[in-house]
Amino acid sequence: MNRPNIKVRAVMLLALAGHGMNASADSLPDGVQIHGFASQAMISTNHNNFFGNTENKTGFDFTELGANVSWRFNPSLQLSAQAISRRAGEADNGALRLDFATVDYTLHASENARYGVYLGKIKNPYGLYNETRDVASTRPSILLPQSIYLDRIRNFVLSSPGVAIYGDNTLPIGNLSYQFSVIKPDASDRETEGTFLGADRPGKIKADTSYIGRILLEPGNSRFKLALTGVSMRAHYLPGTADALKSGNIRFDSWVLSGQYNAENWVFTSEYAQNRIDAHNFGAFFLNRTATGSSYYIQGAYHLTSKWSALARYDVTYRDNNDKDGRVFSALTGAPAFSRFAKDMTIGLGYKLDNHWLLRGEFHRVDGTAWLPYSDNINPAATSQHWNMWLFQAAYRF
Amino acid sequence: MARTLLCLCVLYGANARAVTIIVNPSVALTSVSQNAVRSMFAMKLLQWPDGQPVRVFVLPDDNPLHRVFCKEVLDVYPYQLRQTWDRLVYSGTGQAPIEVNSEEEMLKSVANTPGALGYLKKVKPGERVRALSVGNSARIFSGE
Repeated sequence: MNRPNIKVRAVMLLALAGHGMNASADSLPDGVQIHGFASQAMISTNHNNFFGNTENKTGFDFTELGANVSWRFNPSLQLSAQAISRRAGEADNGALRLDFATVDYTLHASENARYGVYLGKIKNPYGLYNETRDVASTRPSILLPQSIYLDRIRNFVLSSPGVAIYGDNTLPIGNLSYQFSVIKPDASDRETEGTFLGADRPGKIKADTSYIGRILLEPGNSRFKLALTGVSMRAHYLPGTADALKSGNIRFDSWVLSGQYNAENWVFTSEYAQNRIDAHNFGAFFLNRTATGSSYYIQGAYHLTSKWSALARYDVTYRDNNDKDGRVFSALTGAPAFSRFAKDMTIGLGYKLDNHWLLRGEFHRVDGTAWLPYSDNINPAATSQHWNMWLFQAAYRF
Repeated sequence: MARTLLCLCVLYGANARAVTIIVNPSVALTSVSQNAVRSMFAMKLLQWPDGQPVRVFVLPDDNPLHRVFCKEVLDVYPYQLRQTWDRLVYSGTGQAPIEVNSEEEMLKSVANTPGALGYLKKVKPGERVRALSVGNSARIFSGE
């Protein structure tokens, strides 16, 4: 724990130094910008643990820190890199990670069209919130709807080494933008392993060449946003020593349909996703598994004043459309049936002190544990189906 | 008669606009389309037709003139513009415009930065920035 802490302090120092520099932009070379963010949350649950030891206690184990530097050489070339540190209970230890390191080369830009390429470690387009999901002020709530933005596989979806083409076109109906990436995702962490293989296994999951793309249409001068995301990810398993599992293959295919309406004082958002997890060739101790799950949420956010905003959301996820209540899965594996679905009713309140500081509070009433972190709840038999969660968060950005 | 009426309407329209787009005198254009202005303030169109880089200056999100500018010129809400910039900044795909704290600072920055683009209530004679006419009004004039 010591080393990450030192690194975390380094990020914070860099961030503060950057803030000072932006305040007097003259001290930075022409075309260079530094930005960053920080947040700290307090979490309490009446059953189950979420991001730390939170059952009938208050946990402080959810911290987000990040800083980035970008250098615009000329109108067609930009280099950017961002480091993040995230503590999230047992699932994330705060170790410093390279979030992106991207070369953005614009091949063509005019007032009605633009296209180019991204190279390096690039952010993955997935639904409406994925690219900036670690920056609290870009989220509608402290936690993103876990149905679509499952934190268990965040590393897998967040950013990946690869290459992408992107573009924008101004059409009569509105702006159309797109991005298609060929990537090699990060699948090595415990939570991703738990999602695909049911537990932390002795071996390692290695990703193969995968694809992700999104088309976004913004009719009515961006009042409306309509997006379609497609994901096709492939990975294989490298068994550990004395591993009951053989070197099997994993396929993760998903699509997301997103819609948003932006009015002056309120924002209405809904997303629907289907994903198929397919694990095969793992041998006699882990039979071939294929499950198609579905998720959706509907969310309304209202700006009460220029500083206060309120949010209400209903968020649902099913791991297997053919076994929505999880009974078949439970009979087969012995795991609780309620670990195969989750229905989350969320209400929240936010207060914006200024353009940098944001305070939030929110309450979740949850039925099911489909997105409960594995690492904080090692014994599935000790989890409860019905649980409540309170969160408070202070967030800063520059 | 109809022509006089049209002229009056155009004049009225021009006066009703409570915000003026300004550029550094190094920018050779006198008018741009609304699409181009939107793309430039969305930080997607980063150069002028002569290849000179665009340097965008804005007032803070809650500044009254910024709100008027968003509504009347771009026809978006300030929070939408902030979302656009946040996406660029925190995903490594672009940069934010340069924020200035007052209209005096806006005038000074745009006057002193080649390729600069910003906005003010009005340009007074003798100031070292030029007004840029946008989109629809330019089309009405050329239509006459």
